[in-house]
Amino acid sequence: MGRIKNRLLAKIFTRFPFLLRGYFQRRGLRGDSAIPWTPLKKDLRDCKVAIVTTAGVHLKSQQPFDMKDKKGDPSFREIPANIPTSELMITHDYYDHKDADKDINIVFPIDRLKEMREAGEIKAVADINIGFMGHIDDRLLSVLINKTAPEAGKRLKAQGIDIVILTPG
Amino acid sequence: MCNRSVALIQREIEKIGISTIGISIVRRFTEEIRPPRAVFLKWPLGHPLGEPFKARQHTTILRRSFNAIKEIKEPGAIIDLPYKWKSKDWEDQS
Repeated sequence: MGRIKNRLLAKIFTRFPFLLRGYFQRRGLRGDSAIPWTPLKKDLRDCKVAIVTTAGVHLKSQQPFDMKDKKGDPSFREIPANIPTSELMITHDYYDHKDADKDINIVFPIDRLKEMREAGEIKAVADINIGFMGHIDDRLLSVLINKTAPEAGKRLKAQGIDIVILTPG
Repeated sequence: MCNRSVALIQREIEKIGISTIGISIVRRFTEEIRPPRAVFLKWPLGHPLGEPFKARQHTTILRRSFNAIKEIKEPGAIIDLPYKWKSKDWEDQS
């Protein structure tokens, strides 16, 4: 029953995103005062780019995100660039991903990045991109901030990524 | 919620020393979490790059996002992109 309710709410919030403001206002979490800052020192055409999404994207062969825990799931999945998008799927009950199921590029623009690489607009696409499921709440937010997000960042850094583009669901 | 957690993740990645740009659909959350850089689109949830199979639309949003990395000089700034949802401007493409 919980999943049906979440999906219904997701349809409403997808259509009327401003309603989310009230829904989440009390839980609002402000970033601490110092905003991290890493200026880009290269031209775009010399940059290796990765996607990090919270839209719930993962490989069909990977374990889906946990939809039973109401607090969410702060884990992430590594998504290789060199697979067809037909091998990807979305597990996320908190937004309506009907359109993204048709064309995953609207949340995970991997084909578009490959086209930009072919056109010479960027140097490379990350071999491994990162998929989170963005519904994360309460105590699991601290797992995200202190553990899984920094771990994802380290794996991107180890690949020599210059730019990360982040997309919500 | 995606639009909040994505900005929290962005901050952690930038902290590690990678330049980041976030696409925001719920401006209020982005203002609260304050990731280093964002572009905002008043589009429905689940559609940060736009409509299915509108490749030129997706690429336009990507280019504007990458440009924003250089354009934004002040940490926490949000650039409002001028594209309306389901605008007819995109209808001349497949």
